[in-house]
Amino acid sequence: MSDPTPPQTAAEAPTVARTQRFALNEDWLATAVGLLLVALVLTGVIPTGLVP
Amino acid sequence: MVATEEDLVAPPAERPARTWPWLVAGVLIVLVLGSVARFLEDTIPAAAKGTSLEKFAAAVEYPIYAITLGLIGNVIVYYSGLRERIADAVRTEFFIKTGLVLLGASINLSLIVKAAGPAILQAVLLISSVFLITWYLGGLLGLDEKLRALLSAAVSICGVSAAIAAAGAVRAKREQLAYAASLVIIFALPSIFILPWLADVFGLSPAVAGAWIGGNIDTTAAVTAAGAIAGEQTLQIATIVKATQNALIGIVAVALTAYFAFKVEKDADAQRPGLRQLWDRFPKFVLGFIAASAIGTWYAGTVSAAEAKAHIGVVNDLRTWFLILAFVSIGLQLRVSALREAGWRPVAVFGGATLANLAIGLGLASILFAGFTV
Repeated sequence: MSDPTPPQTAAEAPTVARTQRFALNEDWLATAVGLLLVALVLTGVIPTGLVP
Repeated sequence: MVATEEDLVAPPAERPARTWPWLVAGVLIVLVLGSVARFLEDTIPAAAKGTSLEKFAAAVEYPIYAITLGLIGNVIVYYSGLRERIADAVRTEFFIKTGLVLLGASINLSLIVKAAGPAILQAVLLISSVFLITWYLGGLLGLDEKLRALLSAAVSICGVSAAIAAAGAVRAKREQLAYAASLVIIFALPSIFILPWLADVFGLSPAVAGAWIGGNIDTTAAVTAAGAIAGEQTLQIATIVKATQNALIGIVAVALTAYFAFKVEKDADAQRPGLRQLWDRFPKFVLGFIAASAIGTWYAGTVSAAEAKAHIGVVNDLRTWFLILAFVSIGLQLRVSALREAGWRPVAVFGGATLANLAIGLGLASILFAGFTV
């Protein structure tokens, strides 16, 4: 099967790869921030009434 | 500074410099719009009490205020020339994923375990059937192979994240990914309001409505918005179903990598993708969601019911804040320019696939989640 898509330029390919890497890092960051906030609330560091 | 989805739309050569002051300004814009949404959600129902608008005001939930304010903000930053400068602060994916990890704390682990069976079965059947239908429609209308792969992954699994994974797998062009991402968001926005309304019209139970919403709407953010509009129980099931679909991104990405390497590009030297690639593609926030659920369930069993309710209530308030910021970001990120360039065929493929997804998803949710209680 021939692929009618012209080959990517050097500037294009890394952009998708970088975006992918960033999406993965964002996953870990969201996991860390979310679990940290849960821990801070359950240990009373963030008290009830503080979050509007 | 790291590349974002925004870079796919505005390549570095074409956008103005983003600096730390602009990042701070962008964060402030998102926070201010989010605060206004929270304020409106608190005050409008109270202000409308006793008037003819009381029922309507009570029905309008925070996602509607947040998305509307985001869209208004989008117009303002576009015409003031700020949109590219503040793009690094508009972090829809981060906000939504953090919000979903926080949501995990309020879901009993036993519910996740109980829903896992039907959710996995629905995800496998729905993803494979919708992927193949989209792939077929794309071929029928003569779409480029890579755009076919992107649209099929996006409409069958979970929107932008799946499109990014597929783009990496098939080595798509930046413009194709930007285009697929724009299509996903434009189709997801109306579904946020239409699906909860249809679920109500059809008289679906919270579990069936949640499974339908979670299996159908393409972006995780939009699933959460629709679930929040439909109700807490619907939101919980929708999130579990969507998280299950998200977890299958890796399998589809690996299959696409192999297909394009060996069938489309016929690269004899290509290496077979393995477990490492599966792990790389796995959405890690799903692990955070399950961990938060385990922590919340354990905590509720160790303290009094009143104390658990108070503390989980604070976590839920934080969750609402992150979701509001995500919905504001959805409104701020919406771009229609990418769609004008690609013509009607990809839109027709996406639209047709979305309708198929709606019908198959409703059938599967009605069968697999019949009698399911939250």
